[in-house]
Amino acid sequence: MDPGDTTSEEKTGSSMSAAQRRAEMRRRKLLLNSEDRLNRIVGYAKNGSDNNGSSRRPAEPRFHLDLDRTEPWSSSPSSQRSSPFLPESSGLSSVSHTATPERRGSPLPDCSEPAAPPSAVEDDVGGLRQRLKGERAPSDDISGSPRRGLQKYLSRFDDAMKLRGQLASEKPAQDGGSETEEFDPFRVFRLVGSILLAVFVRMFVCKYLSIFAPFLTLELAYMGLSKYFPKVEKKTKTTVLTAALLLSGIPAEVINRSMDTYRRMGDVFSDLCIYFFTFILCHEILLLFGSETP
Amino acid sequence: MTVMARRLSRMIQKDAEQESEMRTEIHEMKKEQSSISMMDEFAKYARLERKINKTTDKLKTHVKSRTAQQAKVKWVVNIVFYILQAALMVSLIWKYYSDPVTVVPSRWIAPVERLVAFPTGVPGGVGITCWLVVCNKVVTLGFNVFSQRSQL
Repeated sequence: MDPGDTTSEEKTGSSMSAAQRRAEMRRRKLLLNSEDRLNRIVGYAKNGSDNNGSSRRPAEPRFHLDLDRTEPWSSSPSSQRSSPFLPESSGLSSVSHTATPERRGSPLPDCSEPAAPPSAVEDDVGGLRQRLKGERAPSDDISGSPRRGLQKYLSRFDDAMKLRGQLASEKPAQDGGSETEEFDPFRVFRLVGSILLAVFVRMFVCKYLSIFAPFLTLELAYMGLSKYFPKVEKKTKTTVLTAALLLSGIPAEVINRSMDTYRRMGDVFSDLCIYFFTFILCHEILLLFGSETP
Repeated sequence: MTVMARRLSRMIQKDAEQESEMRTEIHEMKKEQSSISMMDEFAKYARLERKINKTTDKLKTHVKSRTAQQAKVKWVVNIVFYILQAALMVSLIWKYYSDPVTVVPSRWIAPVERLVAFPTGVPGGVGITCWLVVCNKVVTLGFNVFSQRSQL
């Protein structure tokens, strides 16, 4: 064996071991900084722990606020790519009730840092989620709750930005557009029905029972007849009230149902006012004619 | 109310003529520009283009300020209207709080005869408060139906 060969072998051995050492260090560094890496991937600016996420400003979200969602919020497989912070099947599902249900968009893009390609993001996120599932330790739970709070805050911030944009765009539309509601044949039918019933009740029925009993019967009939009339799509207006309710954590479905109930109550009240007005008017006319006739 | 606000703003703003003059001027300059060949008379074309741009910017500023003023007038008219309406209602209630609008047999309006009679306290009477609410709603509905018909 030549001494030259021995020296080169030693050098190769030491260089390989050095390379191995470097690789090992890189691997450890990657494993230790996985959280930061994930934050960088999904586009949150790394400002350290100083700002505590308060100054994080994600770019304009690319999802739309869906107030018309009727089905219950669940992790549907047909939904689009969801945010990595929205728990789907993991043990963090309890957060979904407090998280904003309207989010069904992609992860927030970062305008300051170069974003990873979407497939890489999804693979990374999927891998991270798997790791989170498998390696959940008690210390993770403690660190998970501030993360969940941060995620909740960020999702609400996104919704606030989106709502602000929607309100700003709807305000000129409301100012420039018509202030009256759309033409609804069922509404006209209700009003005419109330008027006719009031006249009929004044003429024949009021001597025997209260005037509100036939009115209630009429309203019940309207509830049954409503399905035979063409439904006019009522545009869900995003007002300041609905925005405030959304940001306070109330699900959009609940808000929609409440608004629908409120609208129905308004319709019943309108019918009642027309009915009562017509009744009193008929009463006064009859009294007038009754006093005039000898 | 919208119509009233619009008419009032038109009365206040007398420079609508200036705006229409600017529009006419822009239209004529564009017409002139279209008759000029850019290749042959580039300098004239460019000069005209600059004039058009300048006048257009001036018109935009004008329209913006007019729109802002119109919105302000509309807002003022709305507020004045609502104040007058509230004042009228309060004065009517103050004056006629003990006189019912009409009196019907109390069994006709059972079981809400007390609510309907508020604040008169007369059994079977229709109080001014209830009547104002009903009339308000009826008039609003009537205007809505009328405006829908006029749109159709």
